[in-house]
Amino acid sequence: MVFQAVLVALITTCCTWWFSHAVTRTWLYPIWSGFLVGIVMGKPLEGMMIAAAINLPYVGFITAGGSMPGNPQFAGPVGTALALVSGLDINTATTVGVILGSVTVLVWTVYMSVNAFWVHMAEDFLSKGNIRAMRFCNYVPSFFVSLLINGVPAFLIVMLGAPFGAWLQSFPMWIVDAFGIIGGIMPALGIAMLLQYLDKPKLTPFFFMGWILAQFLGLSTMMITAIGAVIAVLLYNQASKPNSSLIGGE
Amino acid sequence: MAEEKKLSKATLVKNWLLTYSSETCYNYERLQGLGNTNAFVPVIRELYPGDEAKQAEELKNFLVFYNTEPSWMGTIINGITAAMEEKRANGAEITPDEVTTLRSALMGPMAGIGDTVSQSIAYPVLAGICIQLALAGNFAGPIIFEIAYKVLMLGLGYNMYMLGYNKGRDAIVDLLSTGVINKLLDAVSIVGLMVVGSMTASNVKLDLSFMNFTWANALGDIEFNVQSGVFDALLPGLLPLLVVLATWALLRKKVKPLMLIIIMFALGFLLVGIKGLCGAYA
Repeated sequence: MVFQAVLVALITTCCTWWFSHAVTRTWLYPIWSGFLVGIVMGKPLEGMMIAAAINLPYVGFITAGGSMPGNPQFAGPVGTALALVSGLDINTATTVGVILGSVTVLVWTVYMSVNAFWVHMAEDFLSKGNIRAMRFCNYVPSFFVSLLINGVPAFLIVMLGAPFGAWLQSFPMWIVDAFGIIGGIMPALGIAMLLQYLDKPKLTPFFFMGWILAQFLGLSTMMITAIGAVIAVLLYNQASKPNSSLIGGE
Repeated sequence: MAEEKKLSKATLVKNWLLTYSSETCYNYERLQGLGNTNAFVPVIRELYPGDEAKQAEELKNFLVFYNTEPSWMGTIINGITAAMEEKRANGAEITPDEVTTLRSALMGPMAGIGDTVSQSIAYPVLAGICIQLALAGNFAGPIIFEIAYKVLMLGLGYNMYMLGYNKGRDAIVDLLSTGVINKLLDAVSIVGLMVVGSMTASNVKLDLSFMNFTWANALGDIEFNVQSGVFDALLPGLLPLLVVLATWALLRKKVKPLMLIIIMFALGFLLVGIKGLCGAYA
C-alpha cells in the first residue's frame, strides 16, 4: 500500500511538474494520468473507466498563458486514486473529480507563483557564468514544489482515503442524488468552453450536426469523426479555390 | 577569416527536444523564459565553444518573458531563432535585441495557432473518441489517446522546428500571411465541433422524470410526467443540449468557468429540492 501510494504521489507530482512535454504533455489529461494510477494500484480496468469519467468535464478545457480554469492534472490522478481506494461509482467520481479540480486551482496558482523564485536564482547563477546551475534551477526545485503540494496530498489520500466512500454513503439520499445530477451536467462545461474558444458563428452548425448524428441516428463518436474529416477536406478544398469564401474567408 | 559556424543536426535535435522542457519551471513572472534558456544551451555552446563567460552572457538574452504553445506548432520559433543565432555567430549584423523582439512578436500568433491545433482540435477529438472507448471498458481508449497524441505532437513539433530553421523568418511570414493556415484551422475545427456535438448527446445527462404529477378526479387518475410529457415529446435529448447552450451563453457573458461550476452545483441541489417536493424523499 505504501509503495502504491508513493507511485501515485510521483505520478501526481509529474502531472504538474512537466519535466518534458515529450513525456508529460498527456499527463495533464485525466484519461491518461488516471489510467496510470489505475495500473499502479492494480485496478487498470476500473481506474481507466473512472479516469475517463473524470475527464468528461475537461473535454474542451483550454489553458492559455498559464491560466487554468480548473486543475485536471490534480483531479485526474487523485480523483481516480480516491475513487479506487474508497469504491466510488463512476457518476460520483465525476463530481468528486470536479470538486477536487476546482478547489485545487489554488494549488496551481501557488505552484506558478513560487516557481518565479527559481528564475531569479537561475539569473544570479547565469550572471556568475554558471550554466549548469541555471539548468538545475529549471528542472529540480519545481519538482520539489510539486511534490510538496501535489504529491504529498496524493500520498495521504491513497493511505487514508478508504473511509471516504462509506462516509459519502452515510450522507442523506438527496445529497447523493444531487451529486449524481451534477456529474451528469458537468460535461456541458467543457463542451461550452470549446464552443466559446472557437466562437465562429459560421462553424456553429457543425456542432449541431454532430449532436443530430449522435442523438437521432445513434452514430458513435468514431463514425462522427470520420464524417467530420470528410466534410473538413471537402470544405478546405472548396475554400482553397480562388474567389471562394465558403469558410475561412475573413 | 574564421571558418563558417554551422549547427550540427544533433544540436538542432537537442534544441528541439529541450523545447519540450519549456514549462518545467512554469511561473507567472516569465512563464517559459527559463525553460527556453535551458533549451538553447546546446546551440550557444556549439556556436561559442570553450568560452563559458560568453556562453552565459548569450544565454541571458533568453531569460526574459516568453510564452507560446511549446509542443505542437510553437517549436517553429525556436527553429527560426537557432538559424538567427547561427548567422549572428558568423558575424551577421543582428543584435540580440532583434532576436528577442522577433521571438516576442511571434509568440502570440503561434500560441493562437498552436493552442487551436492542440487544445481545440486534436485533444477534444482524441479525448471524445477515447473516453467513449474507455467508458465501455476498452483498453484501446487510453492507449490510442497516448500514442496518437504523441505521434501528432512530436511529428508536427519536429517539422515545424526544422521548417523554422531551414526557412528562417520567411517560413512564418508565408504561414501567417497567405491565410492558408486559417482556412485549414477552420476546416479541421469542424471535426472538433462535431465531436463535442456528439458528446452533448452521449455524455451530458439530465432527466426530469422525477417530476411526476398525479391528479385524482372523477374519471380516474391523470398522470403527467415532465420528462416524457414535455421534453421527450418535443425532442429527445433536448435538455442536455439546452444545458450546453445555456452554459455557452453564460460564458459569452464573461461568467468565469469556476462560477459556472458553482452554478451547476446550485442547479443540482435545486433539482433535488424539486424532487423532494415531488415526494421522492417522503
